[in-house]
Formats: sequence, structure tokens, C-alpha cells
Amino acid sequence: MASQLARDADGRGRIDVRGPRFGATVTTVVLGAALVVQGGVGVGLVAWQWLAFAISTVFGLAWSPYGNLFRFLKRRLDLGAPPATEPEGPPRFAQACGLAVSTVALVLFALGAATAGWVAVAVVLALSALLATTGICVGCELHLVGQRLRGGRRGRSDLDTERSAA
Amino acid sequence: MDPMLLRLLLVVGLVALVTAAGAVWRRRDGRVRTGDAAVRLADHHLEAVGLDLDGRSAGAVLLGSPTCTPCTAVKRILHDLEAERDDFAWVYADAADHLDLAEAHRVLRVPTLFVVDADRRVLARSSGVPAADELRRVLDEGEPLEESSAA
Repeated sequence: MASQLARDADGRGRIDVRGPRFGATVTTVVLGAALVVQGGVGVGLVAWQWLAFAISTVFGLAWSPYGNLFRFLKRRLDLGAPPATEPEGPPRFAQACGLAVSTVALVLFALGAATAGWVAVAVVLALSALLATTGICVGCELHLVGQRLRGGRRGRSDLDTERSAA
Repeated sequence: MDPMLLRLLLVVGLVALVTAAGAVWRRRDGRVRTGDAAVRLADHHLEAVGLDLDGRSAGAVLLGSPTCTPCTAVKRILHDLEAERDDFAWVYADAADHLDLAEAHRVLRVPTLFVVDADRRVLARSSGVPAADELRRVLDEGEPLEESSAA
């Protein structure tokens, strides 16, 4: 039940800035619970979170389970219009970072290295908690760095240096 | 101690720790740093980003990226400053298109702002969204402050 994202002039999807922070709060609760209970239930919770990251990364944030939960609650609780919107790219890249580290955790569980696996889960938990409590998205910052390097190598032709009218 | 209780305390401690670290980071974000009296932006860099200082007492270069949300807030501040002062000009440049400038001045984040005087001396720089009044103070002083306010 993906809703259509708003698009900017360049066709990039834009999302409510409150969405990622809500999603990070859910992720923090899910992974926090997983770390506390551990065992089969804990690994199951990590697997669910891995799936949520994978859906957002592969299909985009319109399909994000937590994003859709946020949109549902927004309608139900009448949270009003977004205070601001942001491009989908950086938070989607942050979801990909979460996917990468939680994949490592699941592989470590499969290999029987449970302690190492839980350390990897704790890394994802820490970054989600940082976004949930302070609004700082480390994955989004990494996206900017990565794009800068990629853009530099490609030698982009669309120099978008704008001069303000003097 | 019950291992589950111990793990609960660890999780709560971890969340508290990153929250504290994030609060410190937030406080530093956007701080206007002065004290780089000897640092100049190179002529060819200013030419590349299209900043013409001719006849002006100060200018600013904002390095950003197309997906950077805080960049919009900094642009608004610069727009206001330009409206207030007739001797101030600023340009926005995509950091990806000006990697040599970014590397020469160790720019690690966008938005990063450089405020320069007519001699291209860096009066101030900031990463994140700076306070407009601090930029006004820097422009009013018009002199790179000599004291080192590093870190």
C-alpha cells in the first residue's frame, strides 16, 4: 500500500521530514527489544528489521513499512501538513546503510557468532537512536559525501553554480 | 544480575550515550569559526565559483549539494544579508563540482560557508546552519580575528 511520493522539479521523491525520525524511533524500539530478549525472538526481530530496511532500500521510501505506518498515523491523528519536506535520496541511502550492517548481523548469527552479531545490531541501534532522539542522520551525511565523490569523478556537466543577483 | 535486566540497562545506556553525543554535536553545528587570518581563498577558486569581489568589502561562498536541506536555510540567511548590505555578494556552488576548493580547505560537510574580505582572506567559516547575527558581527568587524578559537 505504497502512497505516491510528492516529486520535486527534477522528479526526485520528497518526504515529510518527520517520517524518518518516526521510523528511526520504531527501529530503535524493535532493535532495543531484540537486544534485550535475544534468542530466537531477538533474531526474529532483527530479521523483520532487515526486511523493513530492504523494502525501503530496494523499492523506495514510498514502500517503507514504517513510513506507511507514519502516514497512516498522520491521517488518523491529524498531525497536519509537513513542517518541511526533504529529498528521498539521503534517508533512503541511510536505510541502505542499515540494511548492510543488519545483513552482517544476520550472517554472523547464521555462522554461530552470536556475540559479534549482537554488536552489529547495537551499531544499527545506536545510529537509529541518534536520529530518533536528536534528529541527526549519519547515513544521510554519508550519502552527501558519497555523492560528492561520485559527482566529482563523473565530472558533471550541469554546473549548477548560481549567482545571486547583485 | 539477571542477564536480561543487564542487557536492558546496556540498551538504555547506549541510547543515553548517543543522545548526549548528539546534543554536543548539535551545539557545535553551525558555529561560526574565525581566527584563520592567514587563510585566503585562491583567485582561481573564486573565479570557478563565480564570486566577483570587485568593489565590495566582503563576500561569501556557500558549498552545498542538491539534496542538502540545511543548505536552503543558509541560502536564506545569505539572501537577507545581501539585501541589508550593498557591499556584500555571495554565491552558491555544488561541492561536487568544486572538489579542489573543498579539498584545499578540508571541507567535509555541506553546507560549508566561507566569508571572505576584499583581499580574499577568510573572515569566518561554518559548517551547518550559522546564526545570522554572528555573520553580521563578522561582516561588521571586517577583520579576520587573530585569536585562535580552534576546536
